[in-house]
Amino acid sequence: MNRVPILCLAFVLTLTTVAGSSNKKEAATATALVAQSAANAETMRTQGEERFRANCGRCHAAPQKFPPRAMATVLRHMRVRATLTDEDMRLVLFYLTQ
Amino acid sequence: MFFWRQESGVLGWRRTVLVRLAGLLLLQLLAPARGHSQSPDPEKPVPILSGTAGFLPSVTAGQTVLDTQFNPVLLVPLGQNWLIESRGEFEGVFQRQPDGSFGGPVHKHLDYLQADYIANPYVTVTAGRFLTPFGIFNERLYPEWIRALQPDPLILPIGTASSDGAMLRGGFPVSSRANLNYATYVSVASIGVSGVESERHVGTRVGVFFPGPRLEVGASWQKILEDVRKNLVGFHLAWQSRALPVSIHSEAVRSNQGSGYWAEGAYRLSQVHFWEKAMRRTELVARAQQFFNGNISSDVAQSLGLPGANAREADFGANYFFRDGFKAVFSYGRQFSSAGDFNQWTFGIVYRFLVPLGREGTP
Repeated sequence: MNRVPILCLAFVLTLTTVAGSSNKKEAATATALVAQSAANAETMRTQGEERFRANCGRCHAAPQKFPPRAMATVLRHMRVRATLTDEDMRLVLFYLTQ
Repeated sequence: MFFWRQESGVLGWRRTVLVRLAGLLLLQLLAPARGHSQSPDPEKPVPILSGTAGFLPSVTAGQTVLDTQFNPVLLVPLGQNWLIESRGEFEGVFQRQPDGSFGGPVHKHLDYLQADYIANPYVTVTAGRFLTPFGIFNERLYPEWIRALQPDPLILPIGTASSDGAMLRGGFPVSSRANLNYATYVSVASIGVSGVESERHVGTRVGVFFPGPRLEVGASWQKILEDVRKNLVGFHLAWQSRALPVSIHSEAVRSNQGSGYWAEGAYRLSQVHFWEKAMRRTELVARAQQFFNGNISSDVAQSLGLPGANAREADFGANYFFRDGFKAVFSYGRQFSSAGDFNQWTFGIVYRFLVPLGREGTP
């Protein structure tokens, strides 16, 4: 008669443990993804800075941060003016807005 | 009955509260999604109004000129591949009048009004009125907020200004160590209207950029298709040191209107170890240049903006950047010429502005 609450408690504990381990796995995966994303972002930022210095820095210093959509327009203008490639444009945009 | 109504009133009140709470919860849940769906694409460009405003008094051969400039730039992106761009130039040249006050004309000029179509990663098609891609100063270094010295190079009027026609331009890597850029154009209109002057000509500019040493060298050619059919040839160089905050620019040109060269070096004092905050914002500049008369008369040369006689000039300057796009400028130059030597002092402030004309996203 007293087994029911015990079984319920065991069931709840099992569920909590499974959920906890699942959460830990998800958290670990999320942490790895965030770390990978941060590494990618850092790589893109570094490459963007290098492309900026190589292409834009020949004429002027890095501008202050403008809103991304305004900067996207400026970079389209500079793509034409300074013959930036599509890849240059994306990396420089990332560097100047992130 | 009264009790029931009271009970039902309590129940109704509870229901109302529950419904309102549920509504608030739903709004809270939906708010991020709704906000996200309404927030603009961060990479979708918006029209912008940019440009430069400057107040640049100068004293040339003892003559004081209060030069006031306002050069707005309008950029309107359309779709994924189009850009409409335009720059106007308003310049007030105020000199001392006989009554002691300052006055003078305000020059208005349309530098470019062009439509660009980015056809593919290697080719952009431009039509309309555009800056003539002869050398590098006219296209890249002309804006006051970019140029290191405010006085124009002596040879700037040769082969530059604006063209009315069409242009193909672009760039592509020719190896892992070099990128090639090109611009080839034809100006089909010969407009003599004040403010939009142009002439018929064809031309090409080719440059090779070496990302390793950050060196660009290039050449320009232009053939004038007016009554006088002459060739213009130019060369340019741009170099930016990796080790020091130094940049070098240089151009040379040969034409029937005249020949010459200029070479300019700019050094940002960011590596100086005293007064570091101020030094990081300071740039020193020097330029050497020479001009040789062409096969045109002195009067015609001066009407084109060229010196009327052979000339040599040395310029020195300093720029102090209060912040990006806002700087104080100073320069001193001395010109040595068979027509007479003179000094030129320039000082003033330059401000670059940018105003998004649409939903701009978050910075």
